[in-house]
Amino acid sequence: MRKPVWPPLARERVHFVGQPVAAVIAESAAAAADAAELVQIEYRDLAPVTTLADALREGAPQLHAEAPGNLAFDFESGDAAAAEAAFAKAAHVSRLTLRSQRLVGNPMEPRACAASHDAGTAIYTIYTPTQGVNGMRGALSALTNVPRERLRIVAQDVGGSFGIRSPAYPEHAVVMAAAKRLGRPVKWVGTRSEVFLGDNQGRALELTGELALDATGRILALRWDHVANLGAYATPFGAWVGTRNLTVTMGGVYRIPVLYGRARCVYTNTAPVSAYRGAGRPDIAFAIERLIEYAAAEHGLDPIEFRRRNFVPAEAMPYKTANGTVYDSGDFAAVMDDALARAGHAGFAARRAEAAARGKLRGIGVAAYLEAAGAGAAPKDQVRGRFGADGFLTVWTLTQSGGQGHETTFAEIVASGLGVPIERVRIRASDPEADLVGSGVGGSRSLAGCGSACRVLADRIVEQARPFAAEALEAAPEDLEYARGAFTIKGTGRAIGLFALAERLAGPTPHPLDALGEGTFGATFPNGCHVAEVEIDPDTGATRIVRYTAVDDIGTVVSPALARGQVHGGVVQGAGQVFGEQAIYAPDSGQLLTASFADYPMPRAGIIERFDVHPHPVPTGTNVLGAKGVGESGCSGSLPALANAVLDALRPLGIATLDLPFTPARLWEAIAAARGRALSRRAHAPQV
Amino acid sequence: MAKVAMTVNGKAVALELEDRTLLVDALRDALGLTGTHVGCDSTQCGCCTVHLDGRSVKSCSMLAPQADGRAILTIEGLAGIEGPGSGDALHPVQQAFTECHALQCGFCTPGMIMAAAGLLAENPAPTEEEIVHALEGNLCRCTGYVNIVSAVQRAAELMRG
Ligand code: FES
Ligand code: FES
Repeated sequence: MRKPVWPPLARERVHFVGQPVAAVIAESAAAAADAAELVQIEYRDLAPVTTLADALREGAPQLHAEAPGNLAFDFESGDAAAAEAAFAKAAHVSRLTLRSQRLVGNPMEPRACAASHDAGTAIYTIYTPTQGVNGMRGALSALTNVPRERLRIVAQDVGGSFGIRSPAYPEHAVVMAAAKRLGRPVKWVGTRSEVFLGDNQGRALELTGELALDATGRILALRWDHVANLGAYATPFGAWVGTRNLTVTMGGVYRIPVLYGRARCVYTNTAPVSAYRGAGRPDIAFAIERLIEYAAAEHGLDPIEFRRRNFVPAEAMPYKTANGTVYDSGDFAAVMDDALARAGHAGFAARRAEAAARGKLRGIGVAAYLEAAGAGAAPKDQVRGRFGADGFLTVWTLTQSGGQGHETTFAEIVASGLGVPIERVRIRASDPEADLVGSGVGGSRSLAGCGSACRVLADRIVEQARPFAAEALEAAPEDLEYARGAFTIKGTGRAIGLFALAERLAGPTPHPLDALGEGTFGATFPNGCHVAEVEIDPDTGATRIVRYTAVDDIGTVVSPALARGQVHGGVVQGAGQVFGEQAIYAPDSGQLLTASFADYPMPRAGIIERFDVHPHPVPTGTNVLGAKGVGESGCSGSLPALANAVLDALRPLGIATLDLPFTPARLWEAIAAARGRALSRRAHAPQV
Repeated sequence: MAKVAMTVNGKAVALELEDRTLLVDALRDALGLTGTHVGCDSTQCGCCTVHLDGRSVKSCSMLAPQADGRAILTIEGLAGIEGPGSGDALHPVQQAFTECHALQCGFCTPGMIMAAAGLLAENPAPTEEEIVHALEGNLCRCTGYVNIVSAVQRAAELMRG
């Protein structure tokens, strides 16, 4: 991969609007802002490239000498020759280009960091919102060349992360350098404008799919050609999004004998792109389910039956896809039937007719999605349980919650594993002193990875405590049984509670019952079927999401309320992308035109009028909990379900595809153009 | 420099501040009331919502000197104002947010709660549409708003008793 250096402060060339160029350190933020006004920089304008088409054009301006043609990466997965042969014998072929437009992640808490440097030990202490201290340590060490051992990262409450709080940023390095130089703590708190301009952005993908069908509507092959806009520099996750995450589940829930994907990653004069809620997986789910719906319409197939005919059947699990991914479990047909029934799919025609009578365009959209989750970067997941003098069991983890609720979910897992009240267990993330191995938050894996380690921890603690309990009860360890938080001598009433035992053993550190829970847990494949129903006002182009049904196989559910909350949030984030959000750079100046909440429409309260969420668990065997993950599935389901619903509403007008986002202006124009075409057709119709 | 005397969460405070100080910065930096958050620089997110003489306002969109002589209520002062005395009891809106899982990361929450409390003070039985309208100026990136709207309905119920 061709990967140019990304300096914390721009040198010689500024590669994107928003790249830091100078730093002012002052006693107050207001004073620093005043001083920043005095910084004068003379820029010489160079021609920018902001879009994929511009960047790949012959003779396009080159961003980096290391990357001729602005190309960082040309990647392929699957069998190109087999795909060619399958397409040659296909009865039907459908081809569709889809764009998953560039987004700004916009956690409500802007990015921030505070650093101090201890001259004696040469250790930096850095407070910053992150998705896990281990990942941040590695990323910061790579950015600054400061060895990991000298980086102490502290993260507490994180105000939303969504993928873009996992990398290290230039500001971290600048604040660290300033703290060292000045010998004083230095803090930087970003503004929303800095979030828009300087945070890594998301999506920015163009996906072209081709589907080969036989005469009976069976899928013979699926071929993809992706182009990913990396922005000005390669973030640690940018190319991962544009390659691996787009191809690992490129066949979705379908049994497709031949798969092939090509992906090119391209540099442009825009903010660098990184993982953002789903990181390529919602994008490919969106593309597959749009292509399925498009192909069904093109070849006169019922889209539901078309899906059903091509699903990987439950009996085929575990199923190895043509490009080598193994889906461990899933019952896609049952999940779809569940969703269709709950969404009242059968009664839709009447609702469409009723809406038409009111002059509204009503559409229904179905999406059967699947995504890869669970695989972490670290070789295993560890958590450490420590018994404190205060009578609590504190469990240290590496996953930094940004609102997912690890504090209660993991406590529940440990407490129910031990049979003790949840109030006795405290979850703490990111002990700077703990030398734990494991991944941070990402890939919807915290429950499958860290949660499973918590389950293992409970068993470890019981086993570790058994000989001590035996000693306390003056019995043989094998004569003890453990239940409801206590060891009892079998057949007697003599017992000692776990915490009573811990209190007896208190004194030495580590406490004799302190234990490590660990394991290596495999990839999971959350899937589901979402059904969206929309109503478009053709006079204004405004869309109402009148009904939304999400049925998700997220495996075993530990905390139903939290899981539902994740689906709500993910689906609405997808709705934001479908109906309004987009980061637009001016092609001639490289300026971000949508750089505030005034120009970048975030989803607001009430965006979905009726919202039903139902789990349909098919537990996985790849981790001890059976959990598949739920953090990102909402986006993977809602992008295609909502887009399919809108296009279903527009299909009677002859509109087969349209680029996101479906803003009122875009829909109004498309509707007006389609009606104009219809009118002019009528005007030219021969008189009879 | 401006002298600002106001009541914050029932206590009289007197501050001397640069004229340009925003109310939100005075609350956070001068008074240490960091429960009021700053989520934007264009008065659009609502994270900074507080009550000014009983009505919800965005504290980033006014200068601290404009609050001279006025009464400010922030999230820190909300608990215990309903019902007699107990500063520990959650305000019904806080209680409802807890019950309904109406927050994830919590960054928008103080603003959401102050906006909701402001709505319920004016309209004790809002319809769903009125709730959605009242929260128009408050952004949340995590929850999809579903449980927030339910929490406001629940809070209305709790307050009606
Ligand atoms: S900080 Fe006041 S509205 Fe955003
Ligand atoms: S709970 Fe995170 S922004 Fe609302």
